[in-house]
Amino acid sequence: MRRPSVFRGFRTGIICLLLAAGSVGASQLKGALPTPSRPAADFALMAPDGTEFRLSRQRGKVVALWFGYTFCPDVCPMTLSELLRARERLDKGRQRFRIVFVTVDPERDTPARLREYAQAFGGGFTALTGPAAQLAQVRKAYGVVAEKRVVAGTAASYLIDHSAFVYVVDPAGQLRVMFPFGMSVDDMVHDIKLLLQ
Amino acid sequence: MPQTLRLVAFGSAVCLFLAEVALAGPGWAQTQTIRASNAWARRAAAMGKMDMKGSMEKMDKMTGDKGGMSPMAEGGTGAVYVTLSNTGSQADALIAASSDAAGTVELHEVQKEGGVMKMRPVKSIPIPAGGKVELKPGAYHIMLLALKHDLKPGEKVPVTLSFEHGGELRIEAAVR
Repeated sequence: MRRPSVFRGFRTGIICLLLAAGSVGASQLKGALPTPSRPAADFALMAPDGTEFRLSRQRGKVVALWFGYTFCPDVCPMTLSELLRARERLDKGRQRFRIVFVTVDPERDTPARLREYAQAFGGGFTALTGPAAQLAQVRKAYGVVAEKRVVAGTAASYLIDHSAFVYVVDPAGQLRVMFPFGMSVDDMVHDIKLLLQ
Repeated sequence: MPQTLRLVAFGSAVCLFLAEVALAGPGWAQTQTIRASNAWARRAAAMGKMDMKGSMEKMDKMTGDKGGMSPMAEGGTGAVYVTLSNTGSQADALIAASSDAAGTVELHEVQKEGGVMKMRPVKSIPIPAGGKVELKPGAYHIMLLALKHDLKPGEKVPVTLSFEHGGELRIEAAVR
């Protein structure tokens, strides 16, 4: 199991470590908590329209970072659609919540492909790519695992094993909580609303 | 008198059976012991607007490590989910699926190891006798490759399922 220490703290084990990080008590959040609390690593990547997305320019917003790939039919679309459903339930807070999809598959995920993917999901999130080395650096900073696998028995030339956490950055730029795969939309909405306060 | 009653009862049963078969249509064969319920598909992009010329050039460049990959297989993907119940007394298995909506259809499984999700093709999905198997996100799914069109909410994706013993079953997965 290659999980960096950041992943270890689920809320059952950790209560107060994040109290100092912001106004919201960690004990109230339902997702997994990064330990220790830390500023979210900044990065600059490219949106399909060619504009640069820089995390540090998102202060004042809650940003949900998801590392996935468009060829992934199951885990990635499920996570994205649940984040989009959570976003719909934020009412006026919606303007201050951004969903960001960072590709782990720059080989397939060209800007054109990312644009089409985002359109098929009705927009609502920003899909990012960049040079492979830069993407690897961002993954490393967040402790994201993404390993290319050539697998027998499929028409796909390769698949990618990848971490399935959503990393949630608060309006002050702190990495505050991680949503594990399968976390309920209710719990996501709960946590995002807390961080938006 | 009792004999007449029995005849009537038998006749009714036959009628009911025939009506059921007629009403059910071609969806499930008379001998089918596998029932499908809650079939749905995730919305998905066909990636058909991709610049084919550009992608072919890209493919040529990559030929070295692609080992005869078909360009279509790298198009859009989708997933179909369904609950399969086995009403028979014999264990069965889903062994293949096909759909007009996709160039290739495979059976896949997602294994979660630590926080890492690993998707792998499987040869079959077992359906225990008298039991059921639920194809659902993060577990078993029917993977659509080389989608021929976007899967949009409100549409239905026809999929034909093949079973080891139970023949074939046609389902319609509602896109959502």
